[in-house]
Amino acid sequence: MKTTINKMVNILATAALLLILLYSCGCGQKLPENRPSGIKPVRLLNQDSSIINFPDAFKGKTLLLSFIYTNCPDICPMTTHNMQLIQEQLKKENIDYVRLAEMSFDPARDTPHILKEFGDIRDIDYKNFTFLTGNSQDIKNILDSMNILALPGDTTKTESGNIVYFFTHTDRITLIDKEGKIRNEYRGSKTNIQQIINDIKTLGD
Amino acid sequence: MVLFLSLLALLNSFSPKVKIENAWVRPAARGMNSALYFNLDNVTTKADALYKVTSKSAEVVQLHSTVKNNDGTMGMKEIKQIAIPAKSVVKFEPGGYHVMLINLKRSLRPHSKIEFTFYFKSAGKVKVKAIVKKE
Repeated sequence: MKTTINKMVNILATAALLLILLYSCGCGQKLPENRPSGIKPVRLLNQDSSIINFPDAFKGKTLLLSFIYTNCPDICPMTTHNMQLIQEQLKKENIDYVRLAEMSFDPARDTPHILKEFGDIRDIDYKNFTFLTGNSQDIKNILDSMNILALPGDTTKTESGNIVYFFTHTDRITLIDKEGKIRNEYRGSKTNIQQIINDIKTLGD
Repeated sequence: MVLFLSLLALLNSFSPKVKIENAWVRPAARGMNSALYFNLDNVTTKADALYKVTSKSAEVVQLHSTVKNNDGTMGMKEIKQIAIPAKSVVKFEPGGYHVMLINLKRSLRPHSKIEFTFYFKSAGKVKVKAIVKKE
């Protein structure tokens, strides 16, 4: 009787261990989304003023896309920092099929030069990390198709005559597969980096 | 009498006030914005309030709070002062309270330092140096 109970305990323990292993490596996890992004092809600019045909330039690669504006003091820098942490983790794990991009929803102020300054001071590794800006209408169309809200708030004028305004905005990182389909969405500023890494592994090369 | 009052003033300057701990700032280029974070530890038995922070390195410095709206969007609002109850810690941290630095007069590079002056209702003026770090 005791032997039978011991065998059953062993089987259950093994099964539990296998489940934990499967969960931690991301295998077998089904991603919650599988829908077209709805983005119509446009020409955007990166931080070096090079033309990027979006989203075609990222087809065939897994894309992690976030939305920011560089005048944001709190939320957007957190998102950028999380993107950097994800990039570092991908590098550590030799995962080279992912591209990371941050698109500005404030193209009037976020010129390529400003995006470059924003990235440089944070030591961004541009090898697989791109900042994107472009024509205001093109950006608006992308935001609309991806349900990203970005509404300029109160405007104030400083003593030196500078106009200051901030955005109320969606806080999001989106995972897009190599066919251009949205596969998951995460909160950008406070996110579970390991979950994103697991989802990327689930998609595979 | 003058000596006695001077002694009292001296003793008061050594008495415990609100402590400003772990002050740090996000990196940002000249002309852009950043945020200052820290912990306020009110070790006294009297409530206090932070109502102003200044810095020569930014054109405008404001007390802000990040807010999450019902539709999930994130925004900010300026706050006039922040109460610090007696024997308590108030945290200024990413995604919550922060001191907003608008239109920086110099670039804030990682590991560099920036000086601030904090103004408290009771504790008065306190100078603090914050470190610039990526977080």
